[in-house]
Amino acid sequence: MTAIGNHWAPIPAGVPIGGHTGHCAGLLTGAEPAHSTHLEGETAILEMMARGVSLPEIHNALCRLTETSVSPECSCGIYLVDRAGPRLRISAAPGLSPALTEEICRPTLWSEGNPCARAARRNAAVMCEDIASDPLWQRSEFTVRAQAEGRRSYWAVPIASASGGVLGVLAMLQPTRAGASLRDRALIARAAELAGIAIERAQRDGALKRSEAFLAEAQRLSATGSFSWNVATNELTWSEQLYRIFDFEPRAAITLETLRSRVHPEDWPSLAPILELAREGIAEIEHEHRIILPDGSLRHLHLVARGTHDEQGRLEYIGAIQDITNRRVAEEALAKARSELWHVARVVSLGALSASIAHEVNQPLSGIITNASTCLRMLTAEPPNVQGALETTRRALRDGSRAAEVIGRLRVLFAKQEAKTELVDLNEAAREVIALSNSELKENGVTLCLDLAEPLPEVSGDRVQLQQVILNLLLNATDAMVGVEGRPKQLTIGTRLDEQGRVSLRVTDTGIGLESHLVPRLSEPFYTTKSKGMGIGLFVSRSIVESHQGCLCFSANEGPGVTFSFAIPRARPVASSADVAHCTRGTRLVSAASAASTLAGS
Amino acid sequence: MSAKSPRLVSIVDDDESVREALPDLLKQFGFSSFTFSSAEQFLSSGQVDDTDCLILDFAMSGMSGVDLMRELSARGYTIPVILITAQANETFRQRLLREGAVECLFKPFSAAALLQALQLVFPGT
Repeated sequence: MTAIGNHWAPIPAGVPIGGHTGHCAGLLTGAEPAHSTHLEGETAILEMMARGVSLPEIHNALCRLTETSVSPECSCGIYLVDRAGPRLRISAAPGLSPALTEEICRPTLWSEGNPCARAARRNAAVMCEDIASDPLWQRSEFTVRAQAEGRRSYWAVPIASASGGVLGVLAMLQPTRAGASLRDRALIARAAELAGIAIERAQRDGALKRSEAFLAEAQRLSATGSFSWNVATNELTWSEQLYRIFDFEPRAAITLETLRSRVHPEDWPSLAPILELAREGIAEIEHEHRIILPDGSLRHLHLVARGTHDEQGRLEYIGAIQDITNRRVAEEALAKARSELWHVARVVSLGALSASIAHEVNQPLSGIITNASTCLRMLTAEPPNVQGALETTRRALRDGSRAAEVIGRLRVLFAKQEAKTELVDLNEAAREVIALSNSELKENGVTLCLDLAEPLPEVSGDRVQLQQVILNLLLNATDAMVGVEGRPKQLTIGTRLDEQGRVSLRVTDTGIGLESHLVPRLSEPFYTTKSKGMGIGLFVSRSIVESHQGCLCFSANEGPGVTFSFAIPRARPVASSADVAHCTRGTRLVSAASAASTLAGS
Repeated sequence: MSAKSPRLVSIVDDDESVREALPDLLKQFGFSSFTFSSAEQFLSSGQVDDTDCLILDFAMSGMSGVDLMRELSARGYTIPVILITAQANETFRQRLLREGAVECLFKPFSAAALLQALQLVFPGT
C-alpha cells in the first residue's frame, strides 16, 4: 500500500511515473474500504483462475469488474506484452472499440506511440486527465481515434510480474476529464495485480502443459511408460504411454491382477518373486518379461524401478517400462542371419571333407558287403559253415552300425537347426570331428596326435557350432601343411582346463606359419590366403567362440607352424530358481528374461 | 586252384573291418591270407617273400599303397598288386594302373569283383 501511495502521487498529466506496482495483497484496505460487491467480484475472478478458465475470459471479467467499481462511464482494456514485437496484444477490452485497440497495439513499444506502449516500455503508469491538452500524443492516431470515440482522459498502468518485469498494460479511458482519486488508483492497482496473477498462472499452466506434452511425446518416441506403485495401498499410477504399451483403456483402473493378466504365463514365475521381494523392502528392480496383448501379439518389456518412501513414509516404487519388442525382433533377425551364415560356412567346410566323408562311409559298407558275401558262401558250402556265417554276420552288423553312426553325425552337422545350449564334452566333440576327417588327414600325409586331458569338465554351448570351430581349425592346419617337405606333417589336438577355469582346445600344426603382416587380417570375413575356400572360416569360428563367451587366439610355435586355440568357460552347475531368491534387501534384483535365449540370441 | 599249399594273399589295410572280413572271403575263394595294418608292418614281417599277391589299401597313414608298390619294386619284388580305395575316381584309377597295379577296386566292392581281379593275377583260378 505504501508503495502504491509513494509512487502514484502526485501524478502530473501525461508524465510517466517510475516504479511498478508489484504484487501485494490487500491494496484496498489502506485506502477506502472496498465495496463488498467489488470483493465478491474479485473472489469470483480468483475462482475463475482456480478453475483454469482461459486468460481472456478472466481478463474480460476483470475489466468489467474494474469498470463497475471505478465509474459506470469508463472503459477498461488489458493488453499483453508480446516480446516478439515487442508490442502489445489484446487480452480483453470489452468496452473499447476494435479500432481503438488496434491503435493501442499498432506501434512497437520502442516507439512509445501511445500511452499504453509508453507505460509498458517504461514500466511506469501514464496518467492523463485530458487528452486534448497532452503534448505528447496530441496529434497521434491514438488521440484522434480516442477523441473521435468521445474519450477524454486515460490512465495506463503497467501489469508487473512477481519478479517485477512488465507482463502487460491495463488501460482505462473515460469520456470526461478525470483525475484518479486515491480509491481509483487503488482499484486500478488491484486490477493490474490480479491481471498479472492471472497472466503468470496462465503462463505456468502453459509451461506445465508443454512439459507434460514433451514428456508424453518422449514416452511415445522412446516407447517407454512410467509408473508408480504404492506398495502399502497397492495403488498403481500409469502414464498414458504405459496404457498404450499394455493396450489397456486409457485411465482404466490398473491393479496387479489386471497387470498379471497380460504377463506371458511363462514369464510370470520369474516376475512374481521379484514383486514379492520388492514388497519386503527397498530395492532396485530390473527385469525383462513378455506380455501378450488381447489381439494375441507378443511384446518384450524392460522394467526398471527404484524403491523410495512417499511423504507418509510408505514404500513406493517409481519406474519405467520400455517396450523393447523391436530391439528383440531385430536381435532375433540378426541371430537368425548369423546362424544361417554359420550354417553355410559349415556346409562349405564339410564340402572340403567330402572325399573323406565318402571314405568314412565306404569303409564300413565295404566291410558289410565283404562279410555278407562271405556269409552267403559259407552257408551255401557243403557242408554249410554255420559257425563262420554267424561270425561274418556279426561283423556285418557291426559295420552297419558304424556306417549309421557316420551318417548320423553328418546329418547333425549338415542340419540347419536352431542353436541350443547343452553340456558339451570337447574331447568327445573333437573325436567325432576327427572320425570324419581321418582320411582327409591320411590323404594329405598328416599324422594326428591327440593330447586330450581326461577327465575334462564340460562346457555349455551348442555342440554342432563348437564342432564346426574344431573342424575349421583342423582343416586350416591341414591346409597349412600341404606344401611342407622334409619334416613330419604333424597335427596335434589338445584339450585342458586352464588356470582361469576355462576349457581350452588347441590345434597345432607344423605348417608354413603365418606371415606377421597378415595376422591382423586373419579373422576378417572373406580374407583368405588360400586358393580355395571363402575365407569365412576363421571369421565364423571367432564369432561362434565369442558367442560362447570365449576367445579364439593363435600363436607361432617355437618350431615350425602355428597353434590356434579357443577357450570357453566351463559349464556352471545347473542354475536353480534359488538364483532369484539370492537378492536381499537393498540390493539389485536382476533377472535374465530367459537364460536360454542368451546364447540363442547371440 | 592248385592242390599244393594254397596261394598266399597278403592284405595291407589300416581299416580293421577290412582286415577282419577279407581273410574269410579269400578263404572261401581258396586262398590263405595274412593281414597287416600298415605298409611298414608288412615290409618288416618276413612275409614279403612268400606273398603271391598283395591286396593293398591306397590311403594309409605313413606309407601309402603306392609308396609301398614303389618300395617293393625298388627292392626288386614283382608281387602282383590289387589296390583298393574308398575314392571312386576313374582318372585316379587309371593312374594307379599305370603305376603297375593289376587292378584297382573302389570300396565298397563286391565279392565277384574281387574274384575277377584275383583271376587276373591267378589265371585259371
